[in-house]
Amino acid sequence: MQRLASLIDVNSQEFRLNEHHNRRLVTEFKERQRAVRFDRPERDRERLRRQNKLFVRDRVEALLDPETPFLELSTLAANEAYDGGVPSAAQVVGIGIVAGREVIVHADDSSVKGGAWYPLSVKKIVRSLDIAIENRLPVVHLCDCGGGFLPMQAEFFADRHHAGRIFRNQSILSKMGVPQVAIVMGHCIAGGAYVPALSDYNIIVQESGAIFLGGPSIVKVATGQHVSVDDLGGADMQTSVSGTADYLADSEMHAIAIARDIVARFSRPEKTSLDRVAPEPPAYDASELYGIIPRDARMHFDMREILARLVDGSRFHEYQPRYGRSLVCGFARLHGYQIGVLANNGVLFDDSALKGAHFIQLCDTNRTPLLFLQNITGFMVGSEYERRGITKNGAKLLMAVSGAAVPKFTVICSHSHGAGNFAMAGRAFDPRVLFSWPQAQISAMGADQATRVLTDVKAKQLAVDGKQLSAQEYETTRQSILEEYRERSSAYYATSEIWDDGILDPVDTRNALAIAVSASLNAPIETPRYGIFRM
Amino acid sequence: MQKLPFNTVLIANRGEIAVRIIKTLRELELRSAIVCHELDAGAPAVSMADMAIAVSGRTPVSAYLDTAQIIAAAREANVGAIHPGYGFLSENAEFARTVVESGFAFVGPTPESIQLMGDKIRARNFVQRNGFPVVPSAIEEDDPATFILRARSIGAPLLVKASAGGGGKGMRIVRDLDTLEQAIAQARSEAQRYFRDGRLYIERYIEKPRHIEVQVLGDSFGNVVHLFERECSVQRRFQKVIEEAPASALPLGLRERICETAVDICRAANYRNAGTVEFIVDGEEFYFLEMNTRLQVEHPVTEMITGIDIVAEQLYVAAGQELRFSQQDIVSTGHAIEARVYAEAPARDFAPTTGKILVLDYPGGPGLRIDIGISQGQQITIAFDSLLAKVIVHSRTRDGAALKIARAMQGLVLLGCETNASFLARVLADEQFLSGQVHTGYLDENPQLAAGESACDLSTFLAAAALLTRPVHEAADAVPELHASLGRWRNA
Amino acid sequence: MNHLFEHEGVDYQLWLSRCQQGYRLHLGNEVLAVDFSHQGDGRGLLTITGASEPVRFAIDGDIIHLHIRGRTRILRYRDPLSAHALVKKDAGHLMARAPMPGVVVKTSVMPGEAVSTGTALMVIESMKLESVIRSPQEGVVDRIHFNEGECFEHDAVLVTITQEGH
Repeated sequence: MQRLASLIDVNSQEFRLNEHHNRRLVTEFKERQRAVRFDRPERDRERLRRQNKLFVRDRVEALLDPETPFLELSTLAANEAYDGGVPSAAQVVGIGIVAGREVIVHADDSSVKGGAWYPLSVKKIVRSLDIAIENRLPVVHLCDCGGGFLPMQAEFFADRHHAGRIFRNQSILSKMGVPQVAIVMGHCIAGGAYVPALSDYNIIVQESGAIFLGGPSIVKVATGQHVSVDDLGGADMQTSVSGTADYLADSEMHAIAIARDIVARFSRPEKTSLDRVAPEPPAYDASELYGIIPRDARMHFDMREILARLVDGSRFHEYQPRYGRSLVCGFARLHGYQIGVLANNGVLFDDSALKGAHFIQLCDTNRTPLLFLQNITGFMVGSEYERRGITKNGAKLLMAVSGAAVPKFTVICSHSHGAGNFAMAGRAFDPRVLFSWPQAQISAMGADQATRVLTDVKAKQLAVDGKQLSAQEYETTRQSILEEYRERSSAYYATSEIWDDGILDPVDTRNALAIAVSASLNAPIETPRYGIFRM
Repeated sequence: MQKLPFNTVLIANRGEIAVRIIKTLRELELRSAIVCHELDAGAPAVSMADMAIAVSGRTPVSAYLDTAQIIAAAREANVGAIHPGYGFLSENAEFARTVVESGFAFVGPTPESIQLMGDKIRARNFVQRNGFPVVPSAIEEDDPATFILRARSIGAPLLVKASAGGGGKGMRIVRDLDTLEQAIAQARSEAQRYFRDGRLYIERYIEKPRHIEVQVLGDSFGNVVHLFERECSVQRRFQKVIEEAPASALPLGLRERICETAVDICRAANYRNAGTVEFIVDGEEFYFLEMNTRLQVEHPVTEMITGIDIVAEQLYVAAGQELRFSQQDIVSTGHAIEARVYAEAPARDFAPTTGKILVLDYPGGPGLRIDIGISQGQQITIAFDSLLAKVIVHSRTRDGAALKIARAMQGLVLLGCETNASFLARVLADEQFLSGQVHTGYLDENPQLAAGESACDLSTFLAAAALLTRPVHEAADAVPELHASLGRWRNA
Repeated sequence: MNHLFEHEGVDYQLWLSRCQQGYRLHLGNEVLAVDFSHQGDGRGLLTITGASEPVRFAIDGDIIHLHIRGRTRILRYRDPLSAHALVKKDAGHLMARAPMPGVVVKTSVMPGEAVSTGTALMVIESMKLESVIRSPQEGVVDRIHFNEGECFEHDAVLVTITQEGH
């Protein structure tokens, strides 16, 4: 495979200005992540100490094999919701190694609102279990949840992907033979009680752990019965009388040791074999990405420069290099794994869409996982393109993306707008994981264009009422619409809403993807089968 | 080779000393018989002996103290002589008498000599009466009513000892006279149990004394020679740990005076067979301490410098023969050092340890002698003395011997039961030991030597332990290659 | 969760990970390249940061006896399940344990006898020295586990004390 030759001048003014800008963005991003991970009011920390509980991050670290990676997902979930009061949606979720096994770790964070589930907490848990199902990953639940946050029940209770989905997904995992272990480290009340109950194995921590459908106060209201926590659902009762819990642990660390012992004896199904060679680092330093990603999002950049800092040895076998050039397609290796790459190098034309659809089928037949690198403002519009069949050719690409049986992975590097988002394996197209870079923009239409459309619509509505916007009023209106639009199309908003699986520092992309590719191989790859391509 | 009037000897002992005696018996083309408690059934001495006769008792030790069973064993094996080794019945006059009266030769002094010189108080009185120097003391049985008063009048520090004892049993140092009575009670209780004799005596405790002892040999014809001195100052809790011969850095003339005094004492006592006269040396002064009327644990260092097989000489003397050499024939050459390997944990206050010997391997070579009574697979119990082996070296100089024994200690591989081997290695490498400036308080003043291994190199041991522990390397092997290569990566 | 090894009463945390040639030992902030090749019969060659060390070893359950560079050390692998299990609260105080192996010289109390903290329960003898085993707390003697003259190992339960009313 040929090595990509970078044309970037790392000593240029342009490079330095980009680098300065992007490093600032990454610093801000890391600070936000750090804060949601660790900043807690002292009184909440104190309460944990009093309850003899470890902080959720320490629990997770103790659970994982030391000296192994942990890919944390959706760290900034809910960061723009609930006035920022529910950091990480009160959940820690990620892919890690426990007793040598790739697992999904799901942990309630009781330092936030007592671990109560908010709508986005539910969404995050459901998503983590979706990942477990798609990739057949065992799950370790660290349960410490005081139940759903009742005032917001309308947003997390009844719908298809609301709280019930957690338990449905758990049941499906069990049916698939994918094991789950739960550790009850606090009170698991109401819905929270089902998480350990639906796990194949569960462990309850003496004193701090308890399981009940209705807590003592609910029991009092419902039946008038006075009952203590221990009698109602304490560790002793649940392990010796009801059989709801399997193992009694003396402490959280003891419980974690038991859980690790359980995971260690899970059977290890053969993973899907994928062409893999010894890994090789890229020939170019990943930190140069900071100088390549333009500080002005309207500026174009060559995705091959990104690939040169992402794939093994910066080697890239480009497919159809002379056709449909706005979509770069080709083969590369990531930590030794063979992958097929589709990367935007401009707006999608009919030929790029055809090339992409063809390449996806090629990879699917080869059993080669697909990586989509998005920087897409959309499909080309205009009568000429319609006449060339841009819509039907775009539909072919969507058909191919949807139908591909090989695992798909998506990174939104910069723009992700319109049908381009769909065609490049956006969230709706079930990539195994989807990550964004900090400066990514995700929206139906680009911000400037959309703002113009929206401001014009507003002006027309006012005109109907006989009102005329002055130039200054028009500009003010435009500005406020632009601001709100920008905010709602930012990576932070997207990740807060769990439209992705988290924002990545661009230099972390290589490792994050490798972990995701490895995880995906726990599930078999179906034989390729597609719907009808409109010819 | 001189002819002996018997062809089989019974060893009324066990462990390394039994092995040691069998080796000489083989050398002299004599048959060996041994008494053996069931715990020792797999011991090397038992398999080496031509004949083993089982003895039993309420406790394992009591089996080896049972005169009746031993005499019966001697009859069964049709032996001509009984060698008591050290410890057990070796200094029991009653036993010696029974042996002789039963028609066997006792490989040791006469019962009368044991009675006189094996008893601390009698020996002391005898030595003092004959004009030899002794440490100021108070003997209880002189007048039990005034015992404490007389002890107090000597002044602190004092050493409380059991009259019938040895080897540190029943000993107490008293620095504060207010604790004297308590120390007496404790020492008496121990003495009562060990020797069935609660009599005590108290002497002035000499700070920083050196322990010098002289190996003597006497025959039934009044000949007494010495085989030079040994220095046994490296002690802990009155238990010798490292011995050497000759003593290092004794003032000129003192060596001769001590050795001659030892011979004079034995001559006065009409002493026969091998014995050791122990002295306390305080600068240029020396005092008679006690006499051991038996073969000593540390006898090999003397054998190394003189080339004399003391056990063989014991047998000749026991057979009524005259000493085969005179004082002028005995020459001391070079320097010998012995280190005692015990099943004990120096870092835990020398608490005894137990375990099964899983690996046993030791070096050999010229000038190197390992006296050992255990074999691989053997269980080390608390039932007997914790001495496992002695490493003895001989070299031209003391420095050479020190280097040689340090190397030998490194080559001794004894796994399965914690030992003091590392502690011995630290002592042997200690500057104060190497300079020869040791006294009996040396180890107590240097607790760091016993405190345990420094953490240096611990990572090497932890690495080996980790790689040898199944769950540890299995956990490493279980991690997929990709994740192992990423290490502790986090998406910050 | 790290592995635990105990040496002379101190616990050491470590982790072993695979690398292309052999293993890495993670010990605090230290990372050492290590490997071990077995040569049979309790012998092997440890490679540590490029240097080779002949090792003699014996494994007895969780106890690893090692002889390296002329020195012997005994390490104990602490199984995580037992290492992290707390001894039941107060249970340790209800038993008088042997500080070292030894033999019972005499027992000073009888089952059913009330004792207070510090009451002499038993005289033991070890290494030619006597020591007194005292009650760790107030209570009633429940059981004396060894008769006079009997031997016991390090950490053996000598006397069990129950708290009155429990």
